[in-house]
Amino acid sequence: MKKIVEAEKESQRILEATKREISDLMKDVPNRVASMRQQILREAADEREKSLAEAERTGTVKAQQIALEAKRQVETLSKISKDKRKQAVERAIELLLS
Amino acid sequence: MSVNLGKLVEDILKESRAKAEDIKKEGMAQIEDRVARARTQAIREADLIARNTKTEYDAAVNRRVSQEKQKARLAYLTEKNSVLDGIMREVNAKLVEFCRDDSRYRPFLLRSIVRGMEASPSDRVKVALSESDLRRYKGSKLIETALAGTHTPKTAVWSDEPVETIGGAVVSSQDDKVRVDCTLEAKLELMKTQLLAEISRILFAS
Repeated sequence: MKKIVEAEKESQRILEATKREISDLMKDVPNRVASMRQQILREAADEREKSLAEAERTGTVKAQQIALEAKRQVETLSKISKDKRKQAVERAIELLLS
Repeated sequence: MSVNLGKLVEDILKESRAKAEDIKKEGMAQIEDRVARARTQAIREADLIARNTKTEYDAAVNRRVSQEKQKARLAYLTEKNSVLDGIMREVNAKLVEFCRDDSRYRPFLLRSIVRGMEASPSDRVKVALSESDLRRYKGSKLIETALAGTHTPKTAVWSDEPVETIGGAVVSSQDDKVRVDCTLEAKLELMKTQLLAEISRILFAS
């Protein structure tokens, strides 16, 4: 009879220990979730930072190309031939005096 | 009797272990479910950040490109204006030369005076020239020739008050209420858009 009582007690102890174990794990769930969430969002934020830095580099490269082309166009303007300038002046005079 | 008791004890423990195992499985399943749902939600938020990042990336590049294009356009227009200003200065210099050449300038001045007389509604008009033109043409028959060209019964006299101009004339009524500006400056101003378009066509067409 005594052995049965002890077995019942042991049985109860096993169940309570399991319940405690699960309860402890449950209590830790918010921390696990928060930590996992933080990691996922941090990775996304890091990717965002990298992407924006890349955008800055890409923008700068494109801007440099535009500046170079603009410089070339401005230089072309300052290299207009004397003949063309003369032609333009004569045409303006012709229009004015007509 | 003792064999049966031993088996009973063993069954009790076996049953409780099995029950504990079930409790554990159920608890773990609940935990994994909560974690999985939270993970899905976090991944969804991360995806949103990634999508927004793509938009931000495009916006950042476009902003930089747009700024540079605007800067480039401004530099180009500034240079273009500088070229056009240079041409207009040359045009002005040529006009000054033209006005000094009596054989070419006189017919032009005559036409200007005729145009002014025809445009003026007054019968009696005054013709004003630049100070140098007044000295050159006051004693000439320019007014008479102009009046003959208008085929009107108008009368005209030289104005003693010179006008500031490279060339051309200002015809006004005696009471100065009507003023017809036929100077080169007025014509330049009037034709500025057309002149700049024509000059640009010649200089920058290609």
